[in-house]
Amino acid sequence: MRYLLLSSCLFILTGCSSVYKNLQPATGDINSIEKFRPDFKSALYKAEIDVITHHLSGLLLIKTLPDSSIRMVFSNEMGIKFFDFEFRPGGGFKVFYIVKQMNKKPVIKTLKKDFELILLPDKNEQAAYLRKDDHSLYYIFPKQKGSFCYITNLDGTEMTTMEISSPHKPIVNAIMKNYINGIPDTIGISHKNFTFNIGLKRIER
Amino acid sequence: MRKIILVLFILMYGFTVQAQLTGYTPVTDIAKFKDQFAAIAKKTETIKSDFTQEKNLSMLSEKIVSKGKFWFKKDNLLRMEYNKPFEYLMILNKDNMYIKDGQKESRVSTKSNKLFQQINKITVDCVQGTVFSNPDFVTKVYENKGTYIVEMSPVGKALKEFFKTIDVVINKDDYEVSTIQMNENSGDNTIIHFTNRELNTPIPDAIFAVK
Repeated sequence: MRYLLLSSCLFILTGCSSVYKNLQPATGDINSIEKFRPDFKSALYKAEIDVITHHLSGLLLIKTLPDSSIRMVFSNEMGIKFFDFEFRPGGGFKVFYIVKQMNKKPVIKTLKKDFELILLPDKNEQAAYLRKDDHSLYYIFPKQKGSFCYITNLDGTEMTTMEISSPHKPIVNAIMKNYINGIPDTIGISHKNFTFNIGLKRIER
Repeated sequence: MRKIILVLFILMYGFTVQAQLTGYTPVTDIAKFKDQFAAIAKKTETIKSDFTQEKNLSMLSEKIVSKGKFWFKKDNLLRMEYNKPFEYLMILNKDNMYIKDGQKESRVSTKSNKLFQQINKITVDCVQGTVFSNPDFVTKVYENKGTYIVEMSPVGKALKEFFKTIDVVINKDDYEVSTIQMNENSGDNTIIHFTNRELNTPIPDAIFAVK
């Protein structure tokens, strides 16, 4: 029982600690971040992925299917497929295919989290909250370890950065820019602790 | 000689045929088939053509189409230049590969075993025809009235990972390769159609320079 109490206390303390804890409380609708959710009906991107010393380039197709699931298929310019992921509403995730050389748990987990960040969390997440500083609003969505954070200007009209944070510090920075018909033209994801960068530039077909 | 025959699979093309084995029967005289390729290989010094590549994602009902230009020069010089809807250049100059992807340039020795370059090389081998001499493939040849299909089934684990089969469609009249279709286990495929071929026109070596 003592251990249970101790571990519960530690869990609560860890859960409360946040890289965003020094920000001021802010009022507003946390769901207003929804307007930045990309509407990936079907979008093709020229993609570059740098993983440690490896550089992959190719095409990333992002498509929303009739059941609202989102598929991401990445292949090289000559058609060789690297991965095919499915993101379901509610947080479900399925790997339809991943090339053997990339089929490692940390790689899949990292790609999953990175792409979940740009897809934005589901509406009405109970634990989500809003914070601010002198320049920005912070839409914070706690996760099992750390949080997703979407940072806008104080008016909430422009999203400047997205972050994945550990309990202590941001570990991933991302941007989505130049929305056209709800689809960002440019997407960039960059890890701070090691070389794992994703750059996407939309291709008109 | 066998390599030359295999390279010729790529180098020859003429018209588009759907690469499906329905309606085809096995070729009985394989030796004759190979001899005819050998004869054409001797005469082919260069090839210049356009190509259209279709990536078909069956589950997503999506087709990604890209277009570009293709150059080949004997021996083992290949240039594929994608220009729509993106720009991507790949040059194979004997054992060296050069890739220009936007502003990024890279050079790779095809003798190296680097992980991701190997993945690229599989496609290059298909395009160049060197996969035909790869012992990891079992090759069968089928025919109908107007075309042959060379169906290549991978035996080795590495290639099985990527392909169920690779079908090469060849015009019976002139033994020109019209289409290469790479079929994945998932049901997706990549089809490359070759058009506007110019045979044995002079192509300067500079086209294949790996700077």
